[in-house]
Amino acid sequence: MTTDTLKEEDPKARDLAKSKQMASAVKSQQAARRRSMGMVKNYFPIALLALLCIAFALMNHRFVTLSNLVTVLQQTVTLLVVALGLTFVIIAGSIDLSVGSIVGMATVVAAMTAPSLGALAIIPACAVGLLAGTINGFVFVKGKVPSFIVTLGAMVVYRGIILIFTSGTTISIDDERFVNAFGGNSLGVPHSVVIAVVLTVVCLLILDTTVFGREVRAVGGGERVAALTGIRVERVKIGIYMLLGLLAGVAGVLNGAWSMAATAQMGTGLELDAIGAVVVGGTPLTGGQGSVLRTVLGCLIMVILSNGMDMVGLDPYIQNIAKGVVLVAAVFVTIDRSKISVMK
Amino acid sequence: MDGEGRGDEVQTIELTAEHLFKSYGSTRALVDVSTTLRPGRIHAFAGENGAGKSTLLKILAGVESADGGTLLLNGKPYRPRNLRDAEEHGIALVFQELTINPSLGIAENIYIDRMRRFSRRFGTLDAKKMRRTAQIIIDRLDIGISVEQDIASLDLGQLKCIEICRALSTQPSLILLDEATAFLGWKEVEAVLAVMRRLREEGVTLGFVSHHIAEVMGVADTVIILKDGANVGELHGADINAETIHTRMVGREVSAELYPARHERAASKTLLELSGIRLAESTEDLNLTVHAGEVVGIAGLKGAGGEQIIAIIAGDQRAAAGAMALNGSPYRPRLPTDGWLAGISYVPGDRAREGLIVDFSILDNLVMAASPHRGPVFNKAKAVDIAKGAVRRLSIKTNDIRAPCSSLSGGNMQKVVLGKCLGTEPRLMLLNNPTRGVDVGARQDIYRAIRKLVDGGLAVLLVSEDLTELLGISERLIVLRRGNVSGSFDLNQPCTEQEVVRCMV
Repeated sequence: MTTDTLKEEDPKARDLAKSKQMASAVKSQQAARRRSMGMVKNYFPIALLALLCIAFALMNHRFVTLSNLVTVLQQTVTLLVVALGLTFVIIAGSIDLSVGSIVGMATVVAAMTAPSLGALAIIPACAVGLLAGTINGFVFVKGKVPSFIVTLGAMVVYRGIILIFTSGTTISIDDERFVNAFGGNSLGVPHSVVIAVVLTVVCLLILDTTVFGREVRAVGGGERVAALTGIRVERVKIGIYMLLGLLAGVAGVLNGAWSMAATAQMGTGLELDAIGAVVVGGTPLTGGQGSVLRTVLGCLIMVILSNGMDMVGLDPYIQNIAKGVVLVAAVFVTIDRSKISVMK
Repeated sequence: MDGEGRGDEVQTIELTAEHLFKSYGSTRALVDVSTTLRPGRIHAFAGENGAGKSTLLKILAGVESADGGTLLLNGKPYRPRNLRDAEEHGIALVFQELTINPSLGIAENIYIDRMRRFSRRFGTLDAKKMRRTAQIIIDRLDIGISVEQDIASLDLGQLKCIEICRALSTQPSLILLDEATAFLGWKEVEAVLAVMRRLREEGVTLGFVSHHIAEVMGVADTVIILKDGANVGELHGADINAETIHTRMVGREVSAELYPARHERAASKTLLELSGIRLAESTEDLNLTVHAGEVVGIAGLKGAGGEQIIAIIAGDQRAAAGAMALNGSPYRPRLPTDGWLAGISYVPGDRAREGLIVDFSILDNLVMAASPHRGPVFNKAKAVDIAKGAVRRLSIKTNDIRAPCSSLSGGNMQKVVLGKCLGTEPRLMLLNNPTRGVDVGARQDIYRAIRKLVDGGLAVLLVSEDLTELLGISERLIVLRRGNVSGSFDLNQPCTEQEVVRCMV
């Protein structure tokens, strides 16, 4: 049946056919727009990363050398290990501002125990991280204080503890066993990068294949629903803070082995870089959504942005502005506004 | 001065929709819908969940725009850009969800989007004048509320009336109400219906959506029946009857057997026993037993305590005093988790906030309570099997279990919540208003699924504001009044709604 024959017979039927046509045209247009927007949202972080790499490579040939690649990876590890833990916390709908201080504490503990324990100094360092994370989790869950406030306080408290132990001075780390284990190379591959890759895979498996990972998402997606469905919300929340504390401990060790010293200011501001990396990767702060691979992308974007701007010789002041703009722009593009009813 | 809300100069309008089309993604919400709303009449929109009623109302009120078709207002083309624009044309919408802001006063809520109208010099607010004009509007409805009252003291029905006042404050000639009564108790519903009749007398045109056929029968002059996004018939005046509406809306004969038959059974063993439970310090001891293979209904006005009892059994709330026993051994849940582990599953009253995570997929929600796993690892293949089984068993209307629950209609969402609960193979199921805002077809599916499980030995404790539902599927009925038991009925003996209502009030 064509519209032409209808035209002569019945004006009403013609109207009808016309509005049907219009409706389907509008529909397919909308669908196409939605699909392309979905593509942009999903692939923006990786496109941004590719764009940055190409731009910096064109501007400075040293950017694409193997030695710079190794440098980039080494600069990424500490941030990545912290951001992995934060990914869980953020997907569960919470936040942790104290990770920078926890990393600093772990580095100090590693520096103080490395002379006697060697590479085994990672054990007390991680234990301190785990303890700090557990305390955060307990105060948050049992005290029912918002995680932002708990960890804001913890950030200052843990920094204070660092100052007490270091008296504000630098403790150098020159135990070879420790430095080689966590800062050395084998076959040209830095040990720290291997550790970070292993931890990434472990976190990926935890989040995507375990029941615990699903529970973390459920708590972030709808805490009340999760609780009424029998999920032990409190246990899940304490669990993610313990995991983050443990990872912050490892990050502290890698940090110490890389810089061969523990300073009182170590890790300051790291929490904001890590939150930024998670968010730039496309994991929203509203909870329920996100992935480990997005966090890896976000970390690489943040590090390559700094590294590339350094190599190009951009004014450090301008660098800060660029970083901030990239952060907001990335969220502007990737955020899925249909799932967030109110922007706060 | 406008905004005084006097009702004596209502302008009559006639709104005609011609060949409306609307799609959301691949879902066709409206397919060639034409209808006319005539001045001074009450129009009811009937249809199953997902039939397109809300979409139609939203298009008429400018909240959504149609993909195709035209709207005519008194014969002139009408293309509302948004809600405000529609209001300026004399058309106001009261949303399905409650939109009252509890931290503001009554007058502020009524004029929430137009407080500027009462600004004085230097931008300060003439609150006195605002309250005075708000009171005039409230008095027009004759609902006995003062603007000075604390908004927290109003019940849901009164809050809905405040929303109607907000709509009235725009001086509309046409008011559209989207499931205004879905969350109200029967007493509150009466108040809202009375208000609608009153407005009709003043010459206001009304359009409303309701799942309760009794309400439709009670006030509507015209019933517009939608099915799968199409207008499948209109009934006027004396032609309006429940059977025709049901048949057209479902597309097949809905027999009187909305509620499946109960089977006679010998007394089975006691499953749950509440002894000396007090909902508050001041209430009397409450004793209740639930046996395997029976449905126990709890009736009562909103706030009478039914919802509280099942929240206590679920482990979501604590009783002020008393003890519970499950299968003869003490049962003291500290968390909902304890309830689930003891074989008690819980369908909460608010499905979108408590029942399921609407952004998550149907699959994720269906297996949330009992994730199939090998050690700590989630068993994806088995989860897909479980989800597909639940979709089949409860006839959940979807062709993709990975689609988010937000793509489902209310009735199907509720089926997902039920599916989640059944996945744990419970011994006792707690249902809080399981068919609130659910259409007849989906209701029938839900009742049948429940009855089948009860015949297999499941115990059900049902709290509902729908008395016919309670009488239709319960074996026994407990009536609560202010936290105390005020009556109990064995429904194997005949019993009328009047008898139950007498115990409720």
